[in-house]
Amino acid sequence: MGRKALLISPELCIGCRACQVACKSWQQLPADKTKNTGSYENPGDLTPNLYNKIRFVEVPSQENPVRWLFVSQRCMHCDDAGCMKICPAPGALYKTKEGIVAFNKDKCIGCKLCVAGCPFDVPRYDEKGKISKCNLCEDRVAENMIPACAKTCPTGSIKYGDWDEMVASSKKAGYEKLYGQMDLGGLGVLYAFKDTPKLYGLNERPQIPESIVFWHNVLKPLAYIGLGGVVAASALHYLLIGPHKEEEEV
Amino acid sequence: MTNHWIDVKNADVILVMGGNPASNHPISMKWIMKAREKGAKLIVVDPRFTQTAAKADIYAQIRSGTDIAFLGGMIKYIIDNNLYFKEYVINYTDAPFIVKEDFKMPGELDGLYSGYDEKTRKYDKATWSFQMDENGLPKRDNSLKDPRSVFQLLKKHYSRYTIDKVSEVTGTPKEKLLQVYKTYASTGKPNRVGTELYAMGWTQHTVGTQNIRAMSIIQLLLGNIGMAGGGINALRGESNVQGATDYGVLFHILTGYNPTPSASLVDLKSYIEKFTPKTKETRSVNWWSNRPKYITSYLKAIYGSKATEENDYCYSYLPKLDDGMNASWLNLFDNMYKGKFEGFFAWGQNPACSSANANKVRKALAKLKWMVNVNLWENETSTFWKGPEMNPKDIETEVFMLPCSASMEKEGSISNSGRLAQWRYKAVEPYGQSLPDAEIMNELYYRVKRLYQKEGGKFPDPIINLTWDYGEKDKDGKVKHLDIHAVAKEINGYYLEDVYDKKVDPPKLIGKKGELINGFPNLQADGTTSCGNWLYCGSYAHVDGKIVNKMAKRGKDDPTGLGLFPNWAWSWPLNRRVIYNRASVDPKGNPWDPNRAIIKWNPTKINPATNKPGMWEGDIPDGPAPPLADEKAGKLPFIMKPLGVASLFGAGLADGPFPEHYEPLECPLQENPFSKKQRINPTIKLFYSKEGGLQEDIFLSCDVRFPYVCSTYRVTEHWQTGVMTRHTPWLLELQPQLFVEISKELAAEKNIKTGDKVIVSSARGKVWAIANVTDRLKPFKVMNSTIHQVGLPYHYGWKFPVDGSGGDTANLLTPTVGDPNTMIPESKAFMVNIEKA
Amino acid sequence: MAEMVRKASAFEIFNHWVLAISCLLLALSGYGFLFKLEGITALFGGANAMKDIHNYLGIVFTLSLFLSIFNWLKDALSFDSDDIKWIACAGGYLSKHPKVPPMGKLNTGQKLYYLALLAFGIAIAISGFVIWLMPGQRNYIILSHLVHNISFVVLMIAVPVHIYLATIANPGTFRIMVYGTVPYKWAAKRHPKWIQELSHGK
Repeated sequence: MGRKALLISPELCIGCRACQVACKSWQQLPADKTKNTGSYENPGDLTPNLYNKIRFVEVPSQENPVRWLFVSQRCMHCDDAGCMKICPAPGALYKTKEGIVAFNKDKCIGCKLCVAGCPFDVPRYDEKGKISKCNLCEDRVAENMIPACAKTCPTGSIKYGDWDEMVASSKKAGYEKLYGQMDLGGLGVLYAFKDTPKLYGLNERPQIPESIVFWHNVLKPLAYIGLGGVVAASALHYLLIGPHKEEEEV
Repeated sequence: MTNHWIDVKNADVILVMGGNPASNHPISMKWIMKAREKGAKLIVVDPRFTQTAAKADIYAQIRSGTDIAFLGGMIKYIIDNNLYFKEYVINYTDAPFIVKEDFKMPGELDGLYSGYDEKTRKYDKATWSFQMDENGLPKRDNSLKDPRSVFQLLKKHYSRYTIDKVSEVTGTPKEKLLQVYKTYASTGKPNRVGTELYAMGWTQHTVGTQNIRAMSIIQLLLGNIGMAGGGINALRGESNVQGATDYGVLFHILTGYNPTPSASLVDLKSYIEKFTPKTKETRSVNWWSNRPKYITSYLKAIYGSKATEENDYCYSYLPKLDDGMNASWLNLFDNMYKGKFEGFFAWGQNPACSSANANKVRKALAKLKWMVNVNLWENETSTFWKGPEMNPKDIETEVFMLPCSASMEKEGSISNSGRLAQWRYKAVEPYGQSLPDAEIMNELYYRVKRLYQKEGGKFPDPIINLTWDYGEKDKDGKVKHLDIHAVAKEINGYYLEDVYDKKVDPPKLIGKKGELINGFPNLQADGTTSCGNWLYCGSYAHVDGKIVNKMAKRGKDDPTGLGLFPNWAWSWPLNRRVIYNRASVDPKGNPWDPNRAIIKWNPTKINPATNKPGMWEGDIPDGPAPPLADEKAGKLPFIMKPLGVASLFGAGLADGPFPEHYEPLECPLQENPFSKKQRINPTIKLFYSKEGGLQEDIFLSCDVRFPYVCSTYRVTEHWQTGVMTRHTPWLLELQPQLFVEISKELAAEKNIKTGDKVIVSSARGKVWAIANVTDRLKPFKVMNSTIHQVGLPYHYGWKFPVDGSGGDTANLLTPTVGDPNTMIPESKAFMVNIEKA
Repeated sequence: MAEMVRKASAFEIFNHWVLAISCLLLALSGYGFLFKLEGITALFGGANAMKDIHNYLGIVFTLSLFLSIFNWLKDALSFDSDDIKWIACAGGYLSKHPKVPPMGKLNTGQKLYYLALLAFGIAIAISGFVIWLMPGQRNYIILSHLVHNISFVVLMIAVPVHIYLATIANPGTFRIMVYGTVPYKWAAKRHPKWIQELSHGK
């Protein structure tokens, strides 16, 4: 079985937020106490109890009073996942065979390094200090069901299926390139944008911080090559040159 | 809905006006988006740039309460540019009929039709009728040129709705109007279809019925009624509102839209005479000629063997309205306020928040001796006595709470907007001591009946003699547990005797005694059949000797490809998915649009019912008769109308045969730009006037203290007064508080910032709300002045959340006034002020 | 018994071992985190416990590093021309018969090692505290994470060299951190300038 993906088409999203509720329902996440802050968008940001949120964006328009855009914001399930890269706890973050970046709260050590590793500002921490984010309904998917958000979306704005199939079908529908298709090894959440991703609050080119990439590619190997090298050099020195003994000095 | 939800995908143009399906009917957007994928255009006309507008190809902003002006302009555009579907209009509507000479229109009588009586605020409709020929049929002119023809009068009436005038009144820019008119009128071609979706944005006006009438006229002119992808489609505000009206929950109808009898209709004969239309038109099916069968079968269903020919089938047991009595919502609470009621069952409702002018309702409740609240939760109605501005010590109303079960805790059917009756199953056991509504009724019925049996009373017979065979009875005769299937079967109806078709020789057996009837054509007027609701006859029937609950069917086949899914559940009438579908074919029975053939006449196929060639294919047709062109047996498509054709000339309405623009009761204009004398609908009941009326019902139009147009509406996350949804934390999280949407321009004027707490007030009350300052609302240019519009949802109440953080209902602001035909309150256009709190 | 001279105080010895042990445990758990080695996390009683141990050992390490300033910094900062010569002949370690310039109490290598330990020790400590105590502050974390790891790599190269040179590579050195004393003869040879200073002081 190949990699799976969510395909999000904001053109079809009507901002009904059924996905937001379905997510909470399946994941059994409690509600956050909120206030109206002058917008439909609520809560204002992802929280430990909110894995998937619809952003409401008002953009100026020539033709109409305004353009009102709706888009789902959540974990992107990167192939090259910054959170997994930086996470120091064995088994806390893992990838399923479908390509989902899933988590195990029991193994999470609450260090929050993943916050630094994520290019999308996704990981949140619950009151026990454990990671909390979309896991693409890993448990449903394992039982051949589709994620709750995709299941409940009335307009097909959130679709779930084979990664390749999602890319191919969007291409047919006229989307030459999906957002996330080429980024970070290919995101597990693809977006069919007609406008620049910036309008929807997303980076044009999402990246894992360069220092983390450098650390991963250079420092990490150095940490064992260095240690190994020094130990080996010492042994070699001992054998070839030997210890520094007083009587040998002239 | 004339059509059904899935059918929206078949449209070429979708006009959403008077509704906001993306917010309030999200599932419908699935089909709208499917249509758009195939190239359909979505037009949204709304005072606010809504979530639906966000998906529209064309959005036009309109001042609340000016829909008739907008649509009148479209009618003019269609006629002036010859864009109507001529063959359809001539054959299937009353356009060629000649109207009486003395019929006068608002253009001639400054806003009034002929026959108006100022005292009663009612019309004498004698002149609103056709000139008859020697055969008793309306005179007609198929060239549509006769100046007294309906078509020419229509043209004349709307000639006043010029683009400039319409733009000035509605505040919609001219180019937008033209864009909408042009796009929608493109569906006047046989191979193009447009549909209209509306909800309370059209109904909740003092011209609510006429809003819909105006659109009906457009749909008929364009030949869009009866077509797949066409029709006029009411998006019902609740999953089972269609069911509620079908089952006669309103005061003026029994089940199946049989009128409630009034006091002067003393016996069944006079009832039948009054409500059974006659026609001289031989090609008309005149479906209501079946009224005697339906009312008799209904009486047999509710009074069983007690109903006999000798006792008029217990007709006398039916409750009667006083002649001319209107017992609708606003009048009901007006009477309650005036102390005319002792008790009140608030069953599954929350009038303290849902009712227009809720302050008056809250005060009215205090005049009661007792109230029973049947609900899932304690709500603002049951606790009104400790609500805002109430002193519990002064209130003597005794309140009883009967907890009832939620929909998922019980089995039964619901009927959705598309007339689709779907059987649903119990998912979980009822919570705590709550009971399904039917069980509560069973308990109540048993107790009330026993009291009548013991103590007698004024007229015990109608209660004592009710049939109540809904399950096994205990030794006291009480039904132990109400079997909802027994109810469904009673609604469907039984053959009470062996019933024969006596028109053929020898008589042919139609149905055997005790069997469930498989369709209303088999109902009888002689007491040999019973049927609780003729529309649902055939929903739970004997098919080939087996009992089938057709509402529980779940077949996924779609033979036409038009999304009819005939084997998924069951829709009235007779599982017909698109009503008036005979109008989708030409007089020969060929579809106007072969690519969207909802039905089609196949002249060679042998009809198994008659054993003769010729039968319809596709959807269940509106009657099996051959197409109109068949000289002997052909029938006209609009089977519910005595003349068989659709009415452009709506003489049945209280306020005029053609919709005319009147301003809302409260509006920003001093005069109606279309007729100086008549600012408001002349036929509405005024609860308040300078001469008198209750101060509670005060209204202030064109008053500097309340300068902004306001509309109430709903959001996706909450339902009605929010009793169910406010108690659902996940939904409250999304929309936690009452808010008011205002334009940036108004906000700047009032120095209000988004997120500020503001006070919204009207002549009748005030509420606080959180300001949502947005570009989604823009000021209008109306009659050369700038008009601001604001809007707020009405889902909140002081009772929950308990900390009061939600706010109260927006209905504290709305006026006590209703549409003259339906009495639906005008909560979509009234005047308010807004100030920073 | 040969004449002995005291090279390290008891406190110096104690602090050295506090620093050394905390450093080694931090390094071990550091490797556990870096490569998600479940064998190592198990040694510490699981990843969560290991995180706590790593964090609190960080405090020990930092305090110890701070105290070490009083032990070694002054000596480590005294450089002269002999140090350059020392570097030129790589401390004599590349020859079986080295000829090394005269050294003070600490030789050039020891001085450089201490300065590196101090610098990267401070860096790894501060960055560690940032990661620990400022969770979620993305930009600080990203920078600290880099500093922490660069320091780690440097230390993981430097510390083994120190261990080797202070033990089997230089017999007689290790006892300083056990007894604190060295034979006078040995000291006079290895640290002639220091012995000179000592005698002047006498």
